[in-house]
Amino acid sequence: MKLKKKSWFTNLIIFLSILGPGIITGSVDNDAGGITTYSVAGALFGYRLLWTLIPSFIVLLIVQEMNARMGIVTGKGLADLIRENFGVKITFFISIGLLITNIGNTTTEFAGVAGSMQIFGVSKYISVPISAVFVWFLVVKGTYHSVEKIFLIFSVFLLTYLVSAVLAKPDWTNIGLALVTPSFEFSTGYLSIVIGLIGTTIAPWMQFYMQSAVIEKGIKIEEYKYEVWDVVVGCIATIVVAFFIMVACGATLYQKGIQINSAKDAALALEPLAGAFASELFAFGLFVASVFAATILPLATAFYICEAFGFESGVDKKLKEAPEFYTFFTGTIIISIAIILIPKAPLIPITIWSQVINGILLPVILISMIILVNKKEIMGDYVNNRFKNSISWLTIIILIVLAFILVIEPLLN
Amino acid sequence: MKFTSIYLSRILGNKILSQEYQIIGKLIDLAVTNDLQNPRVVAAKVDTRDGIKHLSWQFFAVNKQRGQYRMTCSKIDEVPTENMLYLKRSIVDRQIIDVNGRKVVRVNDVRLVLLASGFFVVAVDIGTEGLFRRLGIAKPLMRLGIKIPAKLLLWQDVETVFTPNENIVLSKTYNKLSTLHPSDLADIIEDFDTKTGIALFSGLGKEKSADVLEEMEEEAQLKVLENLDTEKAADILEEMPADEVADILDGLREDKAEELLNEMEKEASEEVRELMEYDEELVGSLMTTDVVSFRSDYTVEKTISTLRELKPDEEQIYYIFVTNIRNRLIGTVSLRDIVISQPNVTLKSLIHKDFVYMKDSDRIDELIKVISKYNLFAIPIVNEQMNLVGAVIINDVMFELNKKH
Repeated sequence: MKLKKKSWFTNLIIFLSILGPGIITGSVDNDAGGITTYSVAGALFGYRLLWTLIPSFIVLLIVQEMNARMGIVTGKGLADLIRENFGVKITFFISIGLLITNIGNTTTEFAGVAGSMQIFGVSKYISVPISAVFVWFLVVKGTYHSVEKIFLIFSVFLLTYLVSAVLAKPDWTNIGLALVTPSFEFSTGYLSIVIGLIGTTIAPWMQFYMQSAVIEKGIKIEEYKYEVWDVVVGCIATIVVAFFIMVACGATLYQKGIQINSAKDAALALEPLAGAFASELFAFGLFVASVFAATILPLATAFYICEAFGFESGVDKKLKEAPEFYTFFTGTIIISIAIILIPKAPLIPITIWSQVINGILLPVILISMIILVNKKEIMGDYVNNRFKNSISWLTIIILIVLAFILVIEPLLN
Repeated sequence: MKFTSIYLSRILGNKILSQEYQIIGKLIDLAVTNDLQNPRVVAAKVDTRDGIKHLSWQFFAVNKQRGQYRMTCSKIDEVPTENMLYLKRSIVDRQIIDVNGRKVVRVNDVRLVLLASGFFVVAVDIGTEGLFRRLGIAKPLMRLGIKIPAKLLLWQDVETVFTPNENIVLSKTYNKLSTLHPSDLADIIEDFDTKTGIALFSGLGKEKSADVLEEMEEEAQLKVLENLDTEKAADILEEMPADEVADILDGLREDKAEELLNEMEKEASEEVRELMEYDEELVGSLMTTDVVSFRSDYTVEKTISTLRELKPDEEQIYYIFVTNIRNRLIGTVSLRDIVISQPNVTLKSLIHKDFVYMKDSDRIDELIKVISKYNLFAIPIVNEQMNLVGAVIINDVMFELNKKH
């Protein structure tokens, strides 16, 4: 076979056709929970936490690259590989964990929908059911390719945060300095926000989603280097959006000493400080992100569980053919919107507990991943090399320590 | 006859004792040979103090004591591990094919039966009960009176599939799958990951593979051709109708398509190349070139005997096309007319002269209109000189319409 050197133009075209899995994963990562954490971090500590975005980026990149590589080489989903190599017990534990955190996360997404639409004067009793129906139809009637296109457009909407940040007229010199100057503070508040930031950036479901998306897209090993760029772009997207949210809140709420508890509060508080337009853009971004994540999370989780246990799955199957799949998917949505719509539902404990379970789940999944990615019989020539392994293990150890603190901390409070 | 039925999960990890009640080790896996109708256990993979050993099952005995299975081994006899299938490693937790249900399922447990003549695999467990048994919660739940659905598939009704990089026999024939319809097989192959799917596909045999490839979704077809070695892929493509091949190759990278065409037999590849030259909106790209035609001076007798020899597919003889000496299409004859006519009558006197035909350079949307207007099953296609070049069958039109919606 002849090997011609491809021109930059050919490369660009191939890259654009591969683009998708990484960017979508990166964008869903900035869901309602993420936006809330970034807003709170900006409001509480100004620009002082911006530096955490750089290590977050590196860790995110390493983990996602491993997933993309495993997906391309094996053609098998992560749940599949875990079941085949580690047996039923671990698979069952992970599935139950994913299912519970998934309900917690989806609830947060619908809370994001409710909060953002309230800014535009729409009652949650209207916005939440309508968006739930929209999500359900999008998933059940759409194909992977059409859904992917809609999601890529969604991702662009997340740039509204850039505009919000610019409207807030921040001090760019200070921001630049804060980005490269790590600051430490050994207070519970500071630590828990740092952990929260990293925890929201590297969520367990992402590993499963990334790997499946690569397979679903049918990316081949010759296209691996383009997929790596897709992952890089996705991670940059995550971090850039997080950056602008923190800047928008840091430049306004922090300066005036305004405390917030949710992303909706942030949008509301922005109005007198940066103008109605900035506030509405912020709310709109929150809305898009919430719907986006509420579409992917329940569906993806239903897929992984069915994949691991051999239940029939897929939106092209009838309810009778794949009862477990539809139960998991529809059940998650119904439970989540019920929690939102029932007055005085315990939202905060739900968020905290799903965060705790996330924290327990993450080390199990990451360790499984690194064992799998080093197995020659699974990965062939694409096992981790020593350099990748040492960075990966370092990353995993740091994450495990953080996850441990994350689990312990809310239990102490 | 006395027999005991045992689930694999209930004995894996159990201790193995010698006749003197000394612990030899723990059971890790059971190896079976696949030469009989039901696989027979021939060796046990045991974790002993001196490392992992593969011991001959001949000297093993299994007893049930106080609800637990106890294994004793009277003689430690290490055996070679070639040509054996390990149940835990290659069956449990893996995906296999449920032949009757025509789908891919995941194995939760394996059921064996202990007879005087040996220890045999009889079924695989794919139900919730098997899952809960592995988790150790099946019995407690059942004691609480909760009914757990169980589902077992007989070994005769499942087919195992292996990913190529496992060190097991690489080429395997899939006899049990021979009864499945190609479209079911296509669905099953698409359900597996690419590597396993390809391994399964390769084991099907040339003709079956061709039928299955035809039934696959376009994306899956491309994946198969890209991953199969060129020689094998070309062999399979030769078995398929030229119009299908042209359709598939259109989706491939140009250099890969060229490589495959060069590997195919000249006659077959030339036909495909001609079809590939048609624009995809033109009738030429949709037509099949496998048509049955007869010269007008043929008698009915000669026509029928030729048909007997050729044994064309049903869809090829909805209408019989009749040409003159210069291969120009002059009419069609129905099978009915041939059957009811005297043997010495020539086709010339039977033809319908006002038949419908189209040119290969006509547009497909027009063809669809014509076919539905005249309620045709098939329509002959000619070139500018009225030479018969192919036919479009209603199935191909349906497929085309389906693709659009």
